[in-house]
Amino acid sequence: MIRPVVLLPDPILSTPARPVTEFGEATLALAADLLDTMRGSSHSVGVAAPQIGVGIRAFALDVTGHRKAKSCHGELVLFNPEVVLAHGRDVGREGCMSVPDLTGDVARHTTIVVRGYTPEGDERVLECDAFEARALQHELDHLDGHVFLDRVVSSDRVFQRRVYR
Amino acid sequence: MAHELSITAIGADRPGVVAGVTGALAALDANLEDTSMTILGGRFAMVLIVEVPEEVDVAAVEVALAFPASELHLDISVHPSDPTGASSEGERWSVSVYGADRPGIVHRFALALADARVNITDLATRVIGDPARPVYAMLLDVVIPEDVDAATVESQLRAIAGELEVECSMHAADADIL
Repeated sequence: MIRPVVLLPDPILSTPARPVTEFGEATLALAADLLDTMRGSSHSVGVAAPQIGVGIRAFALDVTGHRKAKSCHGELVLFNPEVVLAHGRDVGREGCMSVPDLTGDVARHTTIVVRGYTPEGDERVLECDAFEARALQHELDHLDGHVFLDRVVSSDRVFQRRVYR
Repeated sequence: MAHELSITAIGADRPGVVAGVTGALAALDANLEDTSMTILGGRFAMVLIVEVPEEVDVAAVEVALAFPASELHLDISVHPSDPTGASSEGERWSVSVYGADRPGIVHRFALALADARVNITDLATRVIGDPARPVYAMLLDVVIPEDVDAATVESQLRAIAGELEVECSMHAADADIL
């Protein structure tokens, strides 16, 4: 089911999400909602559970076909993800479905290794680089209660999205 | 009906400038719609778009700001300012220019952009590096209309950079929605 996306300043976006302790129907249902919501927004490559109002450590991501992507694991849903290894640094401009009016320049690691669990509870370890690594770190931030605005490289690198009025 | 005013203030950089100006505005029930505040050449510069209640006119705001202006040594000006409704549609690009400081750099680039109907939406310049050999850095955000070829704009800017002996680079700045 496509869920409405929560917008700033909803407090759930600044609250660290809880890990799941049991995998089963609930994680499968949440994964389905995350995927539906992500697929339902043609302009976004990912969505984290807090963005649909669920304070659980989970996100969906898919960078398939993105011009800046190198590594690509296709459609992903990860629960309880953690960064095992990270290196490199690159600045890129990010926007977020939960922050509709603004974009900003954010520094991210260029390569990360992440460990997490599928909705069924199977462990996965993924090595991601370039755009997939950036997108993953953006979603991981949501699980810690951060949006990209908390990470912009400086206050003058925040911009109105697209149209000026 | 509420209306919008533009306010600029510039003066010595010291603690309390933002608090003083915004305090006087808050007392008028003015709502800060959009602001940009930064340090320029050691002075603190503020540009504010504020929405004020109907009965608050330019003169009332000038009077309210007179006290913080004299106390904080600020030059303040207030003007009526309705939104123009102009919008920039097109592709967003960032342009950076840096090199030896010399007069006319901003003008040459801005003129080329204007001739190509490219709208500048943000521009900041800094002089950086060793005072003996200062480097002039300019960062622009621009919107290139859909019917204008970005590669052509880039080659025009590079030609100007060559003439002025500065470095210029340009990259797409459309944000990715993550």
